[in-house]
Amino acid sequence: MQDDMKILIAVSSKEYSKPTLRVGMMISKAFHCSTTIVDVGEKISGFNTKDIGLAHEQMASWDFNRPGVDVLEWAFQYLADHAYIKPKMIEAGFPKNTLVDTGGHRSEVYLQGTVCDDVQLILRNGDIVAELRDEVREGHYDLTIIGGSKKRRMAHDLIQYIDSSIFVVNQLDLEIKYRILLAVDDSAGTEKAVAMGARVANAFGIEVDILTVSKKDNFGEGYKQAAENAGKVLESAGIQYEQLFRVGEPASVIKKEAGDNHIIIMGRSSQNPLMKFIKGSKPLKVMEDCSCPVLIVK
Amino acid sequence: MLGFSQQSLTNFLFWVTQKKWFLITMVIGFFLSLFPTPSGLTLEGYRIIIIVITALIMIITEPIPLPAIAIYIIVFQVVLGINDADGIAHSFMNDAVFFIMGSLMLSVAIIKQGWDKRIALGIITLTGHKTKNIVFGFTAISAILSSFIGEHTVAALMLPIGMTLIRYTSPDKEKVRGLSAVLLFSIAYGALIGSIGTPSGGGRNVIMMSYFQEAGLSISYLEWMIKVYPLVFIQIPIVSWILLKSFVPEYKHLDTGVRKLVVQVAKSPEMTGRNTIAALIFLMVFLGWVFLSETLGLGTIALFGVFLYLVAGYVKWEDLSKNTHWGVILLFGATISLGSNIKETGAALWLAEQIVNLFGNIMYSFPFVMDGIIILMTTTLANVLSSSATVAVLGPITLNLGENAMHLGLVTAIASAFGYFTAVAAPACTIVYSSGLVGAKDFLKVGWKVGFVSIVLLIIYANTYWRIIN
Repeated sequence: MQDDMKILIAVSSKEYSKPTLRVGMMISKAFHCSTTIVDVGEKISGFNTKDIGLAHEQMASWDFNRPGVDVLEWAFQYLADHAYIKPKMIEAGFPKNTLVDTGGHRSEVYLQGTVCDDVQLILRNGDIVAELRDEVREGHYDLTIIGGSKKRRMAHDLIQYIDSSIFVVNQLDLEIKYRILLAVDDSAGTEKAVAMGARVANAFGIEVDILTVSKKDNFGEGYKQAAENAGKVLESAGIQYEQLFRVGEPASVIKKEAGDNHIIIMGRSSQNPLMKFIKGSKPLKVMEDCSCPVLIVK
Repeated sequence: MLGFSQQSLTNFLFWVTQKKWFLITMVIGFFLSLFPTPSGLTLEGYRIIIIVITALIMIITEPIPLPAIAIYIIVFQVVLGINDADGIAHSFMNDAVFFIMGSLMLSVAIIKQGWDKRIALGIITLTGHKTKNIVFGFTAISAILSSFIGEHTVAALMLPIGMTLIRYTSPDKEKVRGLSAVLLFSIAYGALIGSIGTPSGGGRNVIMMSYFQEAGLSISYLEWMIKVYPLVFIQIPIVSWILLKSFVPEYKHLDTGVRKLVVQVAKSPEMTGRNTIAALIFLMVFLGWVFLSETLGLGTIALFGVFLYLVAGYVKWEDLSKNTHWGVILLFGATISLGSNIKETGAALWLAEQIVNLFGNIMYSFPFVMDGIIILMTTTLANVLSSSATVAVLGPITLNLGENAMHLGLVTAIASAFGYFTAVAAPACTIVYSSGLVGAKDFLKVGWKVGFVSIVLLIIYANTYWRIIN
């Protein structure tokens, strides 16, 4: 992960997205990230797009917000309450009039941030995976933060098709003292996951458990090497860690070790995309099975 | 793998995921084309049925943009030899398409005139402060307006009025959930029940008019109103009553809401000469529809109204162009072309025969059975498809189900307005749903009641009143 990291925080409503926004902005503050908060509203049938557009214009003429603007307004208020945006922006209030329609059911507004130069609020409508994928591609984001979904297909699609690391907040409780569960193996994705794990551990002062899981009783050279390298990286960064070696089915072992007080960090699967499409992958199983926060590093 | 990178494979898989319904549809179409042509059906007839099935699946699932489905319909009708290129082009454009184009542009022009404030004041003056009277007033005004200017225009005009009353009654949404539902549904369902009242109430009515003409039948604008408008008046109080029983409003009087609404409306500019002329232009269009539609066509008159608004400078072409859904017009043209060619190839008659064979003599044992079957088919399709597309595709089939084609056609057109069941069934429903004040489940909760009552009413109405006036 580079220094000028860009993060995308996907929110959906003030009722359910507060933990996501809270954690997202904590990460933004810790890494001084350029930050975008996006709300993806429901897909509108092609038959009704213009009718809805006209109705929303009418609503605006009576001083009503169109759907989704209230979510951005809530996000603005959160940023204001926690001083993530500059005082002059807070004084001016939510800049609804500068919410620019950029086409393709997408609107955006820029805010001047305090922890980073800019904070962007974006409203999109459509299929959530397609819209997030477009946003990540257009904005070249390094990390997408989402609340979590119980739908297997959506979890799969998010991991497979979003071109950035993904942090699924799930049931993150800030009252709990979390440890990082850094899952390592001999795959190509492990190196990036270790680097990210070290950064997160450093930024938030969290201790790390390096977990190596083998399906067989004996651990291959590649696995041992991966664990050793991870230890060296953490050690050089001055981070406290423990090495755990376990035998079993990786996803279930990771779930068991994670319990409810770990943030799981692991690399993306290096399997062929077609095989992942058909059979799924280790990160996907972990994301499906675990209720704790999961960061898949790409 | 064949020189493809992991990234291009991922991109391809993403495309497959997004377009799965397109691929499934193409596979279904391919397998259907392998079957032998059913007996009694021409090859062209069988091919057009395959196009109808595939197009319907795509319209419902929308894996590709609607205009792309329109292009698919046009191209495949030519490629599969259903008609030559000129024949398809001719079937693509008729007065019904002109009407849909004209009415969509008229609705933009009307919305831009800012009549919503006057409507708000008018309703409140008529109904007073009692919630049940306001609900009745919303239903009645939405119904009457939508029979002339289209349900989506009415829903767009009325929605902010309803929302303002709700907001001024209580800013806390949780405290006015019942009130929100009852007011917003009175707008959506009022607009739907009114849209059957005149031929200009919706594109589907005009499509049915064009099928009547092709079948050598004739019904004028006024005759349509005489036959159908009483049903609108019957439905208004019944629907209002069902809404009030389904969603109990938290307030019996909306004194605060009404007072603040009147204050807000009073701040808006007075009626000007410009407003009067804009209203007169619409009145001219309406009179043209009533008295001249048989010679000039409903579509031409609607377009003339648009022409007058443009000449008078009451609407900018940029606004019309931006807010008119050209893709939907293209799709309606394509479905009308499908409907026309279903008839030309004999597929409509064959499909009608299959329905008759399926239900057997029971269809003719009682007069209402046939109506019931048509209504159920039309209502089901209209709730998953656009109502105009439903009539375009089903119209040629239902007209062949019995001897009284006028009766069957009108029942089909009216039932296509019963899009009460889901938030996406009709533009008026989608518009009120987009306010965020009613949930998707609310549509099912009340929709089945209004739908059931509408179906029963239509069957009774069609088999009593129409017999009396005939």
